[in-house]
Amino acid sequence: MARLWAVIKREYLERVRTKWFIISTLFAPFLLGLLTIVPIWLIGKTAAQSDITHIAILDASGTGVGRRVRLALGGGSLASDTSRTQLVVLDTTQLAAAESAFTHMVMKKETRGYLVLGPHVLDDTVARYAGRNGASLADVGRIQSAVRQGILQARLERAGLNAERVMSLTAAKQVELSAEQIGDKGREGGGIVKFLFSFSIAFLLYMSIVLYGQNVLRGVLEEKQTRVAEVVVSSVSTDTLLAGKVLGVGAVGITQQILWVITSIAVIRARDPIMRALHIPQVSFTMPSISLPVLGLLFVFFVLGFMLYAAIFASVGAMVNSDTEAQQAQQPFMMLLVATAILIQPVLVNPASSLAVAASIVPFSSPVIMPLRLSVSSVPWWEVALAIAVAAVTIAIFIWIASRIYRTGLLMYGKRPTLREVARWVRRSA
Amino acid sequence: MSEPAIEIRNVAKRYAAHVAVKDLSLVVPRGTVYGLLGPNGAGKTTTIRMILDIIEPDIGTISVLGSAHRDRAIQDRVGYLPEERGLYKKMQVNRVLKFLGELKGLRGREADARIGDWMERLGLRTAEKDWGEAKVDELSRGMQQKVQFIGALLHDPELVILDEPFSGLDPVNAQALKDTVVELKRRGKTVIFSTHLMDNAERLCDAVCIIAHGEKVLDGAVSAVKAAHGERSIALALDGAATPAVQAILADRSMVADVDDQNLFYELELAPGADPSALLRRLVDAGAPIRRFERVQPSLHSIFLERVGATGVEEGMSGHG
Repeated sequence: MARLWAVIKREYLERVRTKWFIISTLFAPFLLGLLTIVPIWLIGKTAAQSDITHIAILDASGTGVGRRVRLALGGGSLASDTSRTQLVVLDTTQLAAAESAFTHMVMKKETRGYLVLGPHVLDDTVARYAGRNGASLADVGRIQSAVRQGILQARLERAGLNAERVMSLTAAKQVELSAEQIGDKGREGGGIVKFLFSFSIAFLLYMSIVLYGQNVLRGVLEEKQTRVAEVVVSSVSTDTLLAGKVLGVGAVGITQQILWVITSIAVIRARDPIMRALHIPQVSFTMPSISLPVLGLLFVFFVLGFMLYAAIFASVGAMVNSDTEAQQAQQPFMMLLVATAILIQPVLVNPASSLAVAASIVPFSSPVIMPLRLSVSSVPWWEVALAIAVAAVTIAIFIWIASRIYRTGLLMYGKRPTLREVARWVRRSA
Repeated sequence: MSEPAIEIRNVAKRYAAHVAVKDLSLVVPRGTVYGLLGPNGAGKTTTIRMILDIIEPDIGTISVLGSAHRDRAIQDRVGYLPEERGLYKKMQVNRVLKFLGELKGLRGREADARIGDWMERLGLRTAEKDWGEAKVDELSRGMQQKVQFIGALLHDPELVILDEPFSGLDPVNAQALKDTVVELKRRGKTVIFSTHLMDNAERLCDAVCIIAHGEKVLDGAVSAVKAAHGERSIALALDGAATPAVQAILADRSMVADVDDQNLFYELELAPGADPSALLRRLVDAGAPIRRFERVQPSLHSIFLERVGATGVEEGMSGHG
């Protein structure tokens, strides 16, 4: 036990001391801060921009609706600044000529675009927009709502309401729709935020398994390349060395995740003060909560995924002699992980599909996909239990194989063994 | 003395393509310096790895310090310097040594104190520079070898196994190694080393075992091995090059059966029935500038060449160190 402990300690301390560990540990909370603050800051920024007002309105309706649209573009109230929006009231017959003239102006960047309000706009509600930002959904959406507001006002006035009343009734700000998810246990917070949150969890799990699995491979390869393995296995058995390596590297991964959780909570706590300090308007934002049992399961699945891939990558490391060989030999196993990453999105969209259920039970993808399903929807307990059981059995098998490959491969230098030779190493239990 | 340090009985190890060791038996008495000699590929490293339980023999038994060699507790009493040297490159030297000590059950202050002693003794820690604080890959190759050597001896093992310890050592470090081996013996430790350099073995070893092709050629105390090969050898040293007349005498197969010509030094094997005095007289008459003419036991080097050559070694891997 003391020997195993010595190996674990070395693997752990030598990794935690590296610059990379510190940088990658700080990276996650930094990213989280960026993701929760910057978009809101950007929204605040773009709302203040007057880009969509820098257009021309070609009003051929003869109803004065163009003026109302201009007002709505500027913000909707009588005090709005409308100076940047050029309003051209014209006859239907002049429309074609004006359109081609303004097309040239847009091409020469004298204006961003133009909005055409046709003669029957109040009745058939058809308006056209053409401009540099014609492909921007956000811009077009805002122009559309301004048009809608202007037309509504004009219709109301035509129906007999007085102008002031119309203004006060319709000048309301845009209605915001906040969406929320409801699960078996009740409300679960904002839908979009939840979506991103679940995606981040799955992605972080995937990244951690890849990074730490690779770390095991590099560690094994280093011991092989520097020939230090021989000294070590003259003191401890190869099984002890393998176990110590996997446990030590795994402990580094868990340490990092615990630090991520702690720093992320700190970032979210600090979010409101930071936003106030930067004069960013507060946007109500419900942080998706994650229950303690689910958090526990996340760790369980990280450990399972890491163990499985660590065993695989340790075997690969013992089989090869150089980094290039390692790249090649690990290819098929990396494909398993990449395939898992590709599954993240479809599972996120439809967490109850049979694809999602299957992927959350197959041991090569379950460590990423099951936590993902757990975080977006509720999963029957027996599926979780099955996934854990299947993963545990697979891990036992792979560790058994890995210990055999490791035992023989660790002191084999020179030619890379063929699959046949590796199979013989596994069969010949020594 | 109690039971031997190592006892190997009828051990064999076969790999897929070839037989590394076949039916090897040998006994290493405690408190001796024991040489495992043989050409490259003779099975020395395989034998050593089996003793250390790094690989399993196919058949046969090995006992180390009186216990079965699989006994983990035994491993703490053995120190090992592998032929392929290597340490964790990015690790601090002191930490590597501490780790190697911990693997042998040595911990805490005791480990630190011993590391300090050894680092000073081998000149890796001086007043101006402490290499223990540096990373392994900042050290020169020679210094890394020293660190590895410390790693093998840190836990004060009863049995020290050195695989080709002299390879890659400069003369200064080779001398330091020899001094350490002598000191270990003085303190009652058993030292086994493998080498293909016969001169080192001859000077250091109490007993040797020569193996070739995975088989024992001969073993025993160095004196006994030499005595068994008779006193048919003459050590001849000349001041200056041999004249043609001298060379003719040395080439006379009725007097000299074999010559190991080392330029200014010759090891001669007398022909059967030849009289050494007659040989000396002829050399003097030929005007040879003799500095030394001595009847000696054959050197391990010549025994090695004779015996291993006889069993048919393709490459004569013997050499001088």
